[in-house]
Amino acid sequence: MGMAKTGTDKSVFPERMAALRLIGFGLGGDWRKLAASVALATASVFFQLLLVWITWRLVLSLIEGRASPGLFFQAAVGGLAAVALYGLTFGLAMALSHRLAFDSILRIRLMMARHMAMLPLGWFADCPTGMAKKLVIDEPEQLELLIAHAIPEGTSAAVNWLALSVWLFVIDWRMALASIILTPLAAVAITYAMSRTRAETERYRKSQAQMNAAVVEYLAGMAVTKIFNRTDLTLARASDAVREQAAAQTAWALRYLPLGGSALPLAMASICVILTVGVWLMQAGQLDLATLAFFVIVGANYSRPLLKLFGLLHQLSHISLGAVEVLRLMRAPAQPDTGRHLPLGDHSVTFGNVRFGYDDRTVLHDVSFTAPAGEVTALVGPSGAGKSTIAGLILRTHDIQDGQILIGGVDIRDMAVDQLMQTVAVVFQQTFLFSDTVEANLRLAKPQATEAELIAACRAAQAHDFIQALPEGYATRIGAQGRMLSGGERQRLAIARAILKDAPVILLDEATAATDLENEAAIHAAMSALARGRTLIVIAHRLHTIRHADQILVVEGGRIVERGDHASLSAGTGAYARLWRDYRSDDEDPQLTQRRHG
Amino acid sequence: MSDPVIPRSDWGSLCRLWSLLGPSRPMMLAGIGLRFLQSLALGAAFAIVVAVITELAAGGTISVERAGGITLALAVSLMAQIGFGYLSARLAWLSSFRAAHSLRLTLLRHLGRLPMGFHLSRHNGDSVAAVTSDMQVIDSFMSDALPQIAQSLGLPLAMLAFLALQDWVLALTATVTILLALPLFVLSSQRLARLGLIRQDRQAQASADMIEYVQGLAVIRAFNRTADAESRFHTALTEFRDISITLTVQLVRPMVLVGVVLMLGVPLVIAVGGWRLHAGAIEPMALIAVLVLILSLYAPLMAMLSVMELARLAEAALIRVDRILDATPLPQPVTPRTPEGFALRFEAVSFGYTPGSPTLRDTNFTVPERSTTAIVGPSGAGKSTILNLIARFWDVERGQILLGGVNLRDLDAAQLTDLVTVVFQDAWLCSGTIRDNIALGSVDASDEAIIAAARQAQAHDFIAALPQGYDTPVAEGGTTLSGGERQRISIARAILKNAPIVLLDEATSAIDPHTDRALRLALARLAEGRTLIMVAHKLSSVQAADEILMLDQGQITARGPHDTLIRENGPYRRWWKMQRGGEG
Repeated sequence: MGMAKTGTDKSVFPERMAALRLIGFGLGGDWRKLAASVALATASVFFQLLLVWITWRLVLSLIEGRASPGLFFQAAVGGLAAVALYGLTFGLAMALSHRLAFDSILRIRLMMARHMAMLPLGWFADCPTGMAKKLVIDEPEQLELLIAHAIPEGTSAAVNWLALSVWLFVIDWRMALASIILTPLAAVAITYAMSRTRAETERYRKSQAQMNAAVVEYLAGMAVTKIFNRTDLTLARASDAVREQAAAQTAWALRYLPLGGSALPLAMASICVILTVGVWLMQAGQLDLATLAFFVIVGANYSRPLLKLFGLLHQLSHISLGAVEVLRLMRAPAQPDTGRHLPLGDHSVTFGNVRFGYDDRTVLHDVSFTAPAGEVTALVGPSGAGKSTIAGLILRTHDIQDGQILIGGVDIRDMAVDQLMQTVAVVFQQTFLFSDTVEANLRLAKPQATEAELIAACRAAQAHDFIQALPEGYATRIGAQGRMLSGGERQRLAIARAILKDAPVILLDEATAATDLENEAAIHAAMSALARGRTLIVIAHRLHTIRHADQILVVEGGRIVERGDHASLSAGTGAYARLWRDYRSDDEDPQLTQRRHG
Repeated sequence: MSDPVIPRSDWGSLCRLWSLLGPSRPMMLAGIGLRFLQSLALGAAFAIVVAVITELAAGGTISVERAGGITLALAVSLMAQIGFGYLSARLAWLSSFRAAHSLRLTLLRHLGRLPMGFHLSRHNGDSVAAVTSDMQVIDSFMSDALPQIAQSLGLPLAMLAFLALQDWVLALTATVTILLALPLFVLSSQRLARLGLIRQDRQAQASADMIEYVQGLAVIRAFNRTADAESRFHTALTEFRDISITLTVQLVRPMVLVGVVLMLGVPLVIAVGGWRLHAGAIEPMALIAVLVLILSLYAPLMAMLSVMELARLAEAALIRVDRILDATPLPQPVTPRTPEGFALRFEAVSFGYTPGSPTLRDTNFTVPERSTTAIVGPSGAGKSTILNLIARFWDVERGQILLGGVNLRDLDAAQLTDLVTVVFQDAWLCSGTIRDNIALGSVDASDEAIIAAARQAQAHDFIAALPQGYDTPVAEGGTTLSGGERQRISIARAILKNAPIVLLDEATSAIDPHTDRALRLALARLAEGRTLIMVAHKLSSVQAADEILMLDQGQITARGPHDTLIRENGPYRRWWKMQRGGEG
């Protein structure tokens, strides 16, 4: 029943195979181990049946009146052996299949990770949070059920069922039919029950999704709704969704149960049909007692494993839904990589008529500029103008549709990806730190760095002092994603990491946005020192930090609308002058300062 | 995850689940009873089998009438099995759906009553999972597993009774392995429950490592450290696999053992049966009956083993649900007091999120009505904590917070929310239209009032420019609007609510100068005529405040208006100079 209730999703055949294809990947060359675990599982079912057969032989000898103490002794010893062998083979099958399952899961995860490492960086930015967990943890984990249980147990159930069916039919086809008949009937009943509840299933699934969404909203907005005393609003929505879910579930059950709920008792009631057919055949003199006893003992329970197969099919389609996602990831094209390390003329960055967009939405239109080596180039403009996209493209987060991006005169697509990564250091607004020590996070940039180098980089990034103040200094573990540090501290650590990398091209995308102003100033001073002889590209909303840039590019709507230095741009009447006026307005704006003076 | 959990026995989990059924218990009991009857009806069919076989073995024959009678009896048994089975499923399912439904509602209401601190100190995802997926596990356990237990017990009990009628020695023999398996099962299930918890923790750790690798992959690539990181990832994977294998083996072994011990009952009964037969203590016919039945005695009991595995899954879900149900809401006053005025006062307030590491130490300050107080200081100094305590997201540990001379704890919760509004750094919008969102705190606000609030919050222009204006639907969380736009809507919301005290956590995220200016204008409007306490990140906000509290390591190190503080040669002046240097 549980299986029928959870397995109501309607899935198409090719998707159903996705899980199997994934298992194919995961098994690598371990088909023999899988075969062995299936064989062991089959053997364990065989030994179960052997016990049944031994019992039947004994009953037969009793009926024929030739049961001797020796026969009983034989049967008892045989039974003991059968049970022991059953336990042994079943235990081994499970141990083997689990080992195999976890090995396969490891292989699939590793394969995914290797593939992910070849994807363009943009893939990660577009990947919704939680996707990583879903793809790498949850989906492969589901395969355990298939590899460790469903495949060995399901296969052994099928093999034994077939073998036994042949045996039963050889002995007496009418009685065999009587033993089998209820199982397909039950299967038909369940299938029919599921097809007639398709509309209810759909409603149930929708209600479930709505309930999840409503509960998420209720909890995510708790702080705000509490403050506005409107918890009732979101609670009412969530409660309604819960009620609708229960109503949909009940409506589904009421329609499903008349057929579906009767199916399982039906599948277990074979004995009724066996005996009925048996007594009539005996009455007609066409069946002897020994055969009847055989069917009563053997036939009564033997169809039950078939229900396991039914469950297997449902699990397969269920798990395949997730497997499809994993396969889609594996099919995502890897970033083209020439692998060639080319000599670079200098370290200037040049955009030549770059056009770029996602699907049919163009984000950058015909962007051209040169960030000369040894100079600071700043990108400013409203949020969403395309500044971060420009910075990202230098790292090949995505490949552009038109135009070219050159570093030192070489198209970034022509050089090896690792050469590009060596050449460019980047600090994003959202920093990512590993739940490791401060030092390990720094050494990511340069594993063989000396302690003096580490400290020098941290001093330049204004990070040394706060690191020293941590309980264990550079050896302090900073928690998942650096949770132990504040936003500004995380950024400074990321900047130190970038400094340590010692790359000729540096991208700073709002790198100091969460940093206290005091540190920001110092970091920028350090950065300007660092920038000597390097190409520095900076994105900043706090305009004072880029006032001294050699070149300021104003980006609006995916285009560069102005370029020049601070003095010339702020003296004009264009976009930059407006931005600068807004930025400085707080000092002289009477609207903003009236409280204090008035 | 880290709080110590004493694993419940399976029996304990069953009792807890049973109590959760609440008013659905009678209905569930009927469902279980019917399952039992279904088993007994199947048992009746077996009784007929035994009768027929013994009769025939004794040399009898079957007449047409007899065959007809047997057919009829079996048909009745079959009908009864199907009928009882259907009714049982219906009662059990519907009652468990009902119970899950009311338990979900209880959970939701309880979550709403819990202090905000409860929600802030754990992942929202855990609470969501408790209400949705964990409840689903519990629901399907109640609807399927509970009746399954009855079913698994029904047939064996009927058969043991029959055996006892034939020969009590054989009946005892058949019971021996069950009695042997029972303590084995209980012992291993307790051990497994403990192991399960360890496994959960270790797996959580290993998954965290793996997730981190994937999330950090972009950084790893940017630093060209793929090969190195991959080998670390491989290590994490290997560890994960080894833990999983070890623990599964530990899980499988006792389960197989219990199954084997149970099934050993068959050869044992054969041996003892042979002995009883030759001792003349039992008729051959009776022994035939026993042997025909003996296999069907243990099969249902084996099925119960897998039910117990489900119980363990349900138990894990139950622990997470109980963690919510066991949390207590903040105490509410029996006789609420009414504040006089809206001045705020911290008197010797100490507070820490975790015991032993205080965030605020012995904090004293007063905020007069209609004044603006800016809280500044390094991150981690306790700035946001002050706001959290005023909103009573947590209760203070020592000291007291007075609003209009009344301790916050003596204020009615609804009154506190009427008096205090908070503008969060991360503006959250609920699903609905923009109008709904602005009117969140004032349901009966007129359109004019809503537009006026939006105008003051510098939000009217961009709202009017949207295709459906104020009727534009926003997705949950408000992701369709930009951060600056969301913030202005949340400010409009606060203006419309018109609470006398406004708590503001100024946004630190970078926004372009146009948006920034609009936001600052909006905040200036919000502050007009209200008591404003803000965690300030911008110099302009600090400068405009009537009073500045400088916080360092949970203590106030300087206080006063900017003009005064800047003249003293104290920590504020040093701080200001450095800040100013930044803007220089």
